[in-house]
Amino acid sequence: MTLALLVLLATLVAGLYMAWTIGANDVANAMGTSVGSGALTLVAAVVLAAIFEFSGAVLVGASVTETIGRGIVETTFFEVTGPFGQDGPLMLAVAMLCALLAAAAWLHLATHLALPVSTTHSIVGAMVGVGVVAFGFKGVAWSKMGQIVGSWLVSPILGGLFAYLSFVAIRRLILQADDPIGATKRYSPYIVGAVVTVIFLSFIYKVLGSRFDVPPLVVSLVVALGAGAVAALLTRIIVRHADPARGTNPYLYVERIFALLQIATACFVAFAHGANDVANAVGPVSMVVMLYNSGFSSVVGAVAVPKWVLVLGGAGIVVGIATLGYRVIQTVGKEITEITPTRGFSAEFGAATTVLLASSLGLPISTTHTLVGGVIGIGFAQGIGALNLSMIRSIVGSWVATVPVAAAVAALLFFVARALIL
Amino acid sequence: MRSIFGLFGRSPFGPLTEHTERVREAVRLVRPLFEAFTAGDWDRAAEINEQISKIEHKADLLKNDIRDHLPRSIFLPVDRSDVLLLLKEQDRLADRAEDLGVLVNMRRTPTPEGMKEGTLALVDAVVAAAERWFDTALDIPLLQEASFTGPEVVKVMDRIKEVSDLEWEADKRLATLSRTLFQYEGEIGAVSIMLWMNIIRVLSQIADHAENSADLLRLMLARR
Repeated sequence: MTLALLVLLATLVAGLYMAWTIGANDVANAMGTSVGSGALTLVAAVVLAAIFEFSGAVLVGASVTETIGRGIVETTFFEVTGPFGQDGPLMLAVAMLCALLAAAAWLHLATHLALPVSTTHSIVGAMVGVGVVAFGFKGVAWSKMGQIVGSWLVSPILGGLFAYLSFVAIRRLILQADDPIGATKRYSPYIVGAVVTVIFLSFIYKVLGSRFDVPPLVVSLVVALGAGAVAALLTRIIVRHADPARGTNPYLYVERIFALLQIATACFVAFAHGANDVANAVGPVSMVVMLYNSGFSSVVGAVAVPKWVLVLGGAGIVVGIATLGYRVIQTVGKEITEITPTRGFSAEFGAATTVLLASSLGLPISTTHTLVGGVIGIGFAQGIGALNLSMIRSIVGSWVATVPVAAAVAALLFFVARALIL
Repeated sequence: MRSIFGLFGRSPFGPLTEHTERVREAVRLVRPLFEAFTAGDWDRAAEINEQISKIEHKADLLKNDIRDHLPRSIFLPVDRSDVLLLLKEQDRLADRAEDLGVLVNMRRTPTPEGMKEGTLALVDAVVAAAERWFDTALDIPLLQEASFTGPEVVKVMDRIKEVSDLEWEADKRLATLSRTLFQYEGEIGAVSIMLWMNIIRVLSQIADHAENSADLLRLMLARR
């Protein structure tokens, strides 16, 4: 079956291209400010981004991958008993390939035009496009689609809310203190402990929980709190040995410590980003691989996302970081002088928490837009010198455009492919 | 490159500090200007006038630049119009310094011996009030770092009160000097008296604008 092999190989290549794009473009959002503030060297940022993107993708990436691959297009219509007959499973694989190609092409164009386009919105739009061409409006699982679009509206708001609360807490405890330096030393271990606990809680619940005979929540709580405590102790040691440099401006010291603490949230963002966005590349791939493994006999064969597909996606992201992403990180780092570490820390914490939450629920959201929500949240807490609110318009505009464009391109591709194959 | 960083506008607080520094430069030339004027050193007075005028122009350019970067779509941690009002008021200190340069060089107005000490004392009082304001204004970036809350605000509020006290001091010296001036109406003539009155009035306005600037900052901090 040469056509089947061709589809598989083409899907793998397109999936890798998508993963590369994600690594090249989006990772700067996590690491740019840390490089800009001098807390991380470029090399360190690239290494940390690679490690955390990869582990996020491999450890927590499965749920969203499942949603992208199986959740949006009504795959059951492609069953051998469906309208396509024996060709159904193969046509599903072709549909996945078309969606992936359409999303990749649109992203490629958007990158050239410097539009702030989301990979998530592109792939979801493309899926809708192929679903509609295959079976009309009933070809799309609209209830799931409703959840996804709902999460696109909620995620920036939630990211903003978490960021707002986190910044207000930092302000209350540290910036408003009579002795901001002492307050930083006192509270920063707790803050880092909380961040690390949230990170561990999110993935241990999934990774370890099912392997023990105790309720998964208990296991993950214990492990996460333990990890949080270790991180807090480490922070305590680091902060104690940091030079206080009591000068005229205590906030310089506070910001210097937070530049270090922000490394934790930057890694958190990279992890959450890997967990959510790897699906944009490998969601279709995992579906095609499953279909190929079943010899295109049924669309409901294997259920689990193959681990190696997630590894492939993670690896693609890492290659993207290494080949082009580092340059984007450098550029962003140079441009960003308006966001100081206390603000960056809060925005990143709010965004990453939201993205990880969505990932656990299997909802594909835009990490970038959630981060935008986080930054605006800090703005509302009087934390940022000047926010350019017209940017919101361009972001909303880009996703209002992305979904229909990606859908149309994917629909066209699938229309042509179907005519050629059948 | 698809980046979210277009989200950050240019913060007005850094350029505002630059504006403060320029205006301070202009106001710091007022004392040398009056030393030259009261000593009748007209060449020196003309030279200082030119310096003030150049600095005032630079401050104007900064003011316009800040305004150009604050369209309505920019969201600030404080009221945008408060920032613009503060900027306008602070700019007036430089304007008045420039006015003084012009007034002093308009005509060779003589300084009676008995006026010299009182005039320089008034200059010092006015400049002291302005200097207190500049110290306060230069802390605005620090306020922004603390997101306009906390002990920084208390410190700034105290200093705002000091500006007001210093302005009151300057007013008292103004009253004394005005009374002294009319003892010399026979000696220097009506035209000189008229010019002197103008000079004294414009001089005291520097302290008034310092106080107004401080009040606007107080308002900016109180609103949030």
